[in-house]
Amino acid sequence: MKSAAKDCRNIFACLTVAMIIAAWLIPAGFAVNVEEANAVISQAETDIGSAYAVVADAETAGVDISALLNQLSSAGDSLSRAYVAFGTGEYANASALAIECSRALDGVTVTAASLKAEAEKAHSDRLLFSMVGSSVGLVLLLVFGFLGWKLLKKRYFKRILDMKPQMEGAQ
Amino acid sequence: MNLGDAKLVYAFSCIVLSLIILSPTLAMVIPSPSGERFSELWLLGSDHMLAYYPFNVSAGETYKVYLGINNQMGNLSYYRVNVKLRNESEPLPNSTMGLPSPLEPIFEYNVFLRNNETWEREVLFSFAAVSFEGDVCRVSKVLIGEHAVDVSKIAVWNETSNAFYYELFFELWIYDPAGSGFQFHNRDVGFWLNMSSQL
Repeated sequence: MKSAAKDCRNIFACLTVAMIIAAWLIPAGFAVNVEEANAVISQAETDIGSAYAVVADAETAGVDISALLNQLSSAGDSLSRAYVAFGTGEYANASALAIECSRALDGVTVTAASLKAEAEKAHSDRLLFSMVGSSVGLVLLLVFGFLGWKLLKKRYFKRILDMKPQMEGAQ
Repeated sequence: MNLGDAKLVYAFSCIVLSLIILSPTLAMVIPSPSGERFSELWLLGSDHMLAYYPFNVSAGETYKVYLGINNQMGNLSYYRVNVKLRNESEPLPNSTMGLPSPLEPIFEYNVFLRNNETWEREVLFSFAAVSFEGDVCRVSKVLIGEHAVDVSKIAVWNETSNAFYYELFFELWIYDPAGSGFQFHNRDVGFWLNMSSQL
């Protein structure tokens, strides 16, 4: 009985020591130093810059970028907070916020590129339709213009001929 | 009107009509000329007017200004506003040379704006850990909104004005997607503050 109690005490002591060591080591394992935080922030800067460039291109192509803009703004806010955390020496927090920034941009580039391709296709379709319409219009203008000119010329000569003096009582 | 004149009038009418027919296609192919490209940066006082900027400040009190940007660059722009704090002897941006102040920003706003869009933000700020020793004032912490930023900014007593002067100013930067990153956009606004131990 005594031996069992002693065993229990030993196990409890071992567990306590293990928990203390774990509590000491785990945060150290997740600690982020200045270089690591800087690298993550730089990556977030690159991500947000690339996403902006693609979204700007999509906007130029005529895409409605409202939803993408919300994602960019959210990422921008996270980046601002990451810089504040970095400035105050909270490198782990800075790193987490920079990762949050990059995550906020998930899918932005792909969505913007896909919407841009759709917008460009729609634009080229509209252009084709407009060119066909204009061409048909021009052909009709040429045909009716030519016929109209013929008619006008005919009426002009008829009027000139009608104006020709005629001799009364001529045989 | 003789036949030659009629022919000219008829040909001119046909040309005008053909241009009208072609105009939708031409509008899609020929880009319309854009106007002058610029950005606006402004700062309004606590009443949202060009007045009532905070001046006499002390630790623990919160002050308010409004910061705004308008984009007239013709496309989506990515702006960064760097918030900086300086004393009387530290450099401001050089607008003639187009150079920013070399001081480190204490906060930044990242803003994405479409053409002709406006962004405005209420900027709440306060100071903490302010100490006075003789003719020197030291500010150790600035709070922008809920973000506390460590600074160590010293102001020397200005005997002419009887004040410890600081200036809170905002620089506008714009992102260049061609690869050079952010560039100073040569616009800055700011206001003077007189740090006092009590109001």
